Amino acid sequence: MTQIIIQGLLLSGLYALIAMGFMLIFSIGRVLNLAYGAYLMVGGYVYFWVSQQLGLPQIIGIAAATMMGVIMGLLKHRLIVKPLKGDHVAVEISTLILAVVMQAGVVLVFGDASKILLPIVPGVTQIEGAAVTYNILVAAIISWIIIIGLYVFVRNTYTGRAMQAVSMDEKGAAISGIDPDRVNLITWGISGGLGAVGGVFFASYTQLSPTMWVGPLIISVAIVIVGGIGSIMGTLIVAHIIGFLEVIVVAKLAPELRGVFTMLLIIFVLVLRPQGLFGREEAH
Amino acid sequence: MPDIEIKKLCAFYGKAQALSDLDLSASEGEIIAIIGANGAGKSTLLDGIMGLVTCTGSVRVGGDEMLGKSSSATVAKGIGYAPERFNLFPYMSVKANLMVGAHTAREDVQTNLETVYRLFPRLAERKNQETATQSGGERQMVSLGRALMTSPSILLVDEPTIGLAPKVCLEISEILRRLSTEMGLTVVVTEQNANFALSLAERIYVLEGGKITSSGTADELTKDDALAQSYFGTKH
Repeated sequence: MTQIIIQGLLLSGLYALIAMGFMLIFSIGRVLNLAYGAYLMVGGYVYFWVSQQLGLPQIIGIAAATMMGVIMGLLKHRLIVKPLKGDHVAVEISTLILAVVMQAGVVLVFGDASKILLPIVPGVTQIEGAAVTYNILVAAIISWIIIIGLYVFVRNTYTGRAMQAVSMDEKGAAISGIDPDRVNLITWGISGGLGAVGGVFFASYTQLSPTMWVGPLIISVAIVIVGGIGSIMGTLIVAHIIGFLEVIVVAKLAPELRGVFTMLLIIFVLVLRPQGLFGREEAH
Repeated sequence: MPDIEIKKLCAFYGKAQALSDLDLSASEGEIIAIIGANGAGKSTLLDGIMGLVTCTGSVRVGGDEMLGKSSSATVAKGIGYAPERFNLFPYMSVKANLMVGAHTAREDVQTNLETVYRLFPRLAERKNQETATQSGGERQMVSLGRALMTSPSILLVDEPTIGLAPKVCLEISEILRRLSTEMGLTVVVTEQNANFALSLAERIYVLEGGKITSSGTADELTKDDALAQSYFGTKH
């Protein structure tokens, strides 16, 4: 039981970090960024290249991955999202195609074999009799620090309030002196950075492979659909629901059923509460 | 020189023309009203000034051409806007809504907040309440307050009395008058309620089918029998 609680908490923290960037884009830009998983994949590979192939300090690897994520987010907004403004289906199809192209690029550079990312912090500790790797512990702690930082940023800074304002009423934001296009650009940059850093931790928890973008994308979609748009707290809570669900299913039922209950939860919520458990009705 | 001067303004929604060759102006500290029926183009006019609708012609503010500029540039130039539907942020508190208005006027934030709370004491009392749970009158106050947080010299107010109780309409009217007399703001109000406009504005423009059909002081307009009959319900 202790093992389930600890593993659930740690995995949920990681899932919350992974979903946060996806939720921001969905809440503010109203777009399902289907290339989001590719941020994680590229973030993981950049970290692998910098810290394991070039042998530079891990912190530089994490910074390089984050920077790459930010750049990808900004470019995606300027080159795809902005020119296709208003056509959400076209944006979503384009982002999905982009993810496949990025996967091909990674195969070209790094090959298609999976790579093992060395633990960011090696070693194992015992918590209440449960074995916990330092790697997942550190990943969860850093996830929490980033999530709390994001929460404080969104609630207490002019830019954060502008992001909330654009998500609730774009015209209201514009007549308050906010440039919604600039806010969207910033959001895509932050989302890219969050995705890439999430990818480093996710890859260190699982493994690095050119197809690793699919799993985190499904987790992100699930968390945002079940949680609803526009709520950091909602994302956090649902990340814990899904994280614990997966840990319990793996421990008590069968590892093969790991994602099945998450999918059923999505259908359940879509039928009974389409706006999500913590979602808000659209402003009129 | 007028504080705001509009010349030959035309507005378009795609190929449909909503405003035609519209001219109007307001001097510093003046209150003007634009009256007209639903669909006359009142909201389009104010949206056009704010850069939210495609327009041709000229909108000069303090001598500078603003047409073609973004809404954020228009706000930074000193135009505040309280739209008809409020366009508030429903899941933010009253204070957070006001703070969003301070986005371009950060150095004046404390002074502006005090001014808004002095003008609308109810907002100070309910500063932590989400605007989604407020009455129409309170939301109108938040909308005006948010516009004032932008440190405007010109305030555009779209149909401030629509759906509000007579007592609240009087409060709003008094506040707009104080903004003009005490703070020197130029106020541009659109209204369907001609009597409200008549009691508030120094000059009134009549907007019909996207065109200004007449203008003048309240006295001048009420002497026009056809107009008085249509808009003020009286006849000389």
